[in-house]
Amino acid sequence: MTQVILNGLFVGSFYALIALGYSMVYGIIKLLNFAHGDIFMFGAYIGMTCLVAIPGIGSLGIGALAVILLVSIVLTGTTGVLIEALAYRPLRTAPRLSVLITAVGMSFFLEYGVRQIWGPDPQPWPSNGRLSDFLSTTDATGAKQQLSVPIFDGALTYSQLVILAFAVVLMAALALYIGKTREGRAMRAIALDQRAASLMGVNVNATISRVFFIGSAMAGVAGVMHGAYYSSITFLMGFLLGLKAFTAAVIGGIGNLYGAMLGGLTLGLLESIGTTLLGGEWKDVFAFVFLILFLTVKPTGILGERVVERM
Amino acid sequence: MKNSWTRKALALGAAVSVALTLSACGGSGDSGETYKLGLIAPFSGSENMFGDYMKNAAVLAANEINEAGGVLGKQIEIVTEDDACDATQGAAAAQKLVSAGVVASVGGYCSGATLPTLPIFYEAKIPELISVANSDNLIKDNTGNVWLLDGTGTQQAATALKWVQQNGFTNLVVIDDKTDYSANLATKFVEAATAAGFTVTTDSLTPKESDFSAQVNKIKSANADFFYFTGYVQEAGLLVKQAVEAGYTGSILLGDGSVDSKVAEIAGLENCQNVYATYTKTPDMLDDGGAFAAAYKEVSGGTDPGPYSIHSYDTVKVWAAAAEAAGSVEMDKINEALKTLTYEGLTGTVHFEADGSRTGEGGFVIVSNKDDGVFKLFDALT
Amino acid sequence: MPIDAKTNLLLPPTTGQARAKAKFSWTSDHGILRILGIVGIVFVFALPLINSGNYTIQLGTQALIYILLALGLNVVVGYAGLLDLGYVAFFAVGAYTSGILTTRLGWPMWATIPAVILMCVIAGIVIGGPTLRLRSDYLAIVTLGFGEIIRIVAQNWEPVTGGPSGIFGIPSWSFGGFTLNKIQLYYFCAVVVLLLGCFGIPRLAKGKLGRAWKAVRDDEDAAEAMGINTYTTKITAYIIGAVWAGLAGQLQASFISVVTPSSFVFLQSALVLMAVVIGGMGSVPGVILGAIIITLGPELLRDVWENRYLAFGILLLVVMLARPKGLWPSTSVLPWSRDKRDHDAKVETPAKSHDYDPQEEVPS
Repeated sequence: MTQVILNGLFVGSFYALIALGYSMVYGIIKLLNFAHGDIFMFGAYIGMTCLVAIPGIGSLGIGALAVILLVSIVLTGTTGVLIEALAYRPLRTAPRLSVLITAVGMSFFLEYGVRQIWGPDPQPWPSNGRLSDFLSTTDATGAKQQLSVPIFDGALTYSQLVILAFAVVLMAALALYIGKTREGRAMRAIALDQRAASLMGVNVNATISRVFFIGSAMAGVAGVMHGAYYSSITFLMGFLLGLKAFTAAVIGGIGNLYGAMLGGLTLGLLESIGTTLLGGEWKDVFAFVFLILFLTVKPTGILGERVVERM
Repeated sequence: MKNSWTRKALALGAAVSVALTLSACGGSGDSGETYKLGLIAPFSGSENMFGDYMKNAAVLAANEINEAGGVLGKQIEIVTEDDACDATQGAAAAQKLVSAGVVASVGGYCSGATLPTLPIFYEAKIPELISVANSDNLIKDNTGNVWLLDGTGTQQAATALKWVQQNGFTNLVVIDDKTDYSANLATKFVEAATAAGFTVTTDSLTPKESDFSAQVNKIKSANADFFYFTGYVQEAGLLVKQAVEAGYTGSILLGDGSVDSKVAEIAGLENCQNVYATYTKTPDMLDDGGAFAAAYKEVSGGTDPGPYSIHSYDTVKVWAAAAEAAGSVEMDKINEALKTLTYEGLTGTVHFEADGSRTGEGGFVIVSNKDDGVFKLFDALT
Repeated sequence: MPIDAKTNLLLPPTTGQARAKAKFSWTSDHGILRILGIVGIVFVFALPLINSGNYTIQLGTQALIYILLALGLNVVVGYAGLLDLGYVAFFAVGAYTSGILTTRLGWPMWATIPAVILMCVIAGIVIGGPTLRLRSDYLAIVTLGFGEIIRIVAQNWEPVTGGPSGIFGIPSWSFGGFTLNKIQLYYFCAVVVLLLGCFGIPRLAKGKLGRAWKAVRDDEDAAEAMGINTYTTKITAYIIGAVWAGLAGQLQASFISVVTPSSFVFLQSALVLMAVVIGGMGSVPGVILGAIIITLGPELLRDVWENRYLAFGILLLVVMLARPKGLWPSTSVLPWSRDKRDHDAKVETPAKSHDYDPQEEVPS
């Protein structure tokens, strides 16, 4: 059972990383950015391409991952800013559902644009960037052994620990940024009242661009980590993970960063437990039924606040 | 506005009655310069990569036939349509092919998307040679024009069980991905294994997800020395990697949907030392294996043949052989010809049972990818 | 005049009466709308005479079924303002109910209509009951969850639903030994869509219930203050939407003869929602237009480009950026005409002077 919980927490940390971007964008401009999961996917493809294309990157060892993370952050962040400026900003005063549909269109565009460039096959992650290869030893028989840390009667591999650590550090950094810095205050101001914030001298467009850059860059990081850990990426992988992240964000209370983190971990745990108890085919049913029951009892999510809304 | 109402109603009534008196057109024998063969496969959606594998091989077969003089003196042409593995789109694609005047259907990948095409092609009097889809449901109520070029789930499951018994495995686990093909194969295997006295643990995973640690956990806690995964390439690679890295040391058998060098690329070759698969045949088991792959690359523009490329290739050739034998492309004559036809194809000897499935055990063998990641013959189980 | 009614949905009753008294002209916006409506209906019924090819009839029937589906969702999203991301669940309930009853128990197709309606009402209550009190984004995820639950149950509950291969061999409609062929089925769908969708829903929307929906959509608190039971109003919209989708599902099952779980994925829900939003929420002609684009778009793009969903994505972006309120917004009589609210304001300027004007009261 310990292993079930550890697996759940690990998967949940991925959901949390993606849910953060969802939640941030939602909290500030009340938009469900359906293309967010696809930016995650795009980040993974950028990482893969860099591993193949940058000469001599293999000699860097695990440092190669740092390089592609950096490239991916810059490119996915810029993509996010561009998407906001071109597709969402012109619709800021339009009905909210119109923006939602635009986001779905953007999601199609990213998915099938990537398919157009890289082809429809699942892409294996290049062997010079696989996390499990860096963090394992070879035993006497030549078989590879994953380095792992025992926790009660279960274990987490080093690769899993690295990803968990990444998730926690990024979340902490983001929480500090939003809570303590001037730019973070601008974001919170816009979330409360966009017009009042602009009257108080907050540059609304620049702040929203910044939000999109950060959210998308985090999705890009998650994409690269996903590729490095699972070593296979497809152009449709962002869709399902995006939906899961959206669910996680809602469980946690959408718009609340700590909630996104908590929601991601909760969803991961639920899925892991559901698979063990009922079998993999009922996993999503288990998670969704829990979600629905939970929301009927606590309609704002774990940490969400009651917000006045308009369609 | 009452006037306009009555007038409108009258006009509509007239239109309806005229239309209802018109009967639907029957299927059309093609009178053009070429024989068109329809190939429905997924070119978009979750299984989209298989479309090209099938299309390129079919085009290759058509090119070879055309260079040798065509069929009954006419050139043949492959017309592809996308079904995205969806029943609705499959039906639309079939209707479109019928309207385009195809003389035979030589595609069909997802069983669920192929089922609604059956009545459409039958009504249009078009023989349907299904190259890949192999659910037993496809030939459950066979109208006589449906032929499965791929062995059925029952045949494949029997081969898998034979191998299990030969190796003396005892703790069996079966994992499917709840697609029609995969669930069918898993169910047939569980039925056969239970009848043979085994207890089988079953589980399912969700296609397009990446983390299967919960399934791996289940495999390990069942103390399995054998697990059979009946889904597709991407999930197979991930499952193998995660199982072996978590310390699973038993044997892994994959279904024929996973036979692709991508499994080793995703899982890492060092994790594939105990990976086997049930499969009909691979290019390297053919006398002209290298030749097929080389010719395929010319058509595809450099990409390698994938799973089912040879099935698609054979399907076109089998239709051509049947048409030549029948001296006609009409459905009834093709059906008669296929009942007795024996054709030596890349996938082995093609001969059909009365119900439309392939004779024998479907030609399934055990293949392994432990040497260089490409699946090669391991055990013919003879 | 039903066609007229389509566009009058958002107007208060007085304006409607005022317009009815005005002299009708075929060249006015409303006249053109009426002509378009008649041309559309005639075209629908004449289509098999123009081209009775299998593919044309297939696409035509599919488009009609999607129109019915989209009009049903329009009640939920467009009128009542409830964001539903799992609408296809009801489509599935209808398709499976009729499919199971006809193939397993041998019922004729028409006899399953009450069962389909009953099952959809139950599903609507089960889904809507506990969740309609949630705010819209939570409602969105909950409906999405229900959509997935229905699909996964259909996929896993093999003894009843046939598992992943679903149900096949579903018969067409037959009345006393007379079975509809493809073209007759097309006409049958056309009549059903016209009666239920094009005339039924606008009638409904014009009544007391329809006004209540719009009041709840525009301002829930204000509506409640005016004595509308917002919860009952919302759940009625939800159930009506569910029944409409169920009937569309039944048509779909009889039309393609197969029901598989893979036809009810989230993408389908998203596509129907797109039809409503692209066309224009709350606008019947708009939603019809949107449904036609959604069904025919990817089909027509088949020939243009192998990678048709990329083209489709770009199309969506362009349409939404150019016309954020949809191609045929509910506030315009015709897609290219001015916003109806501006128009009305101008027409009624003289009458305004007799109205109560708060500013006049101020000096006293």
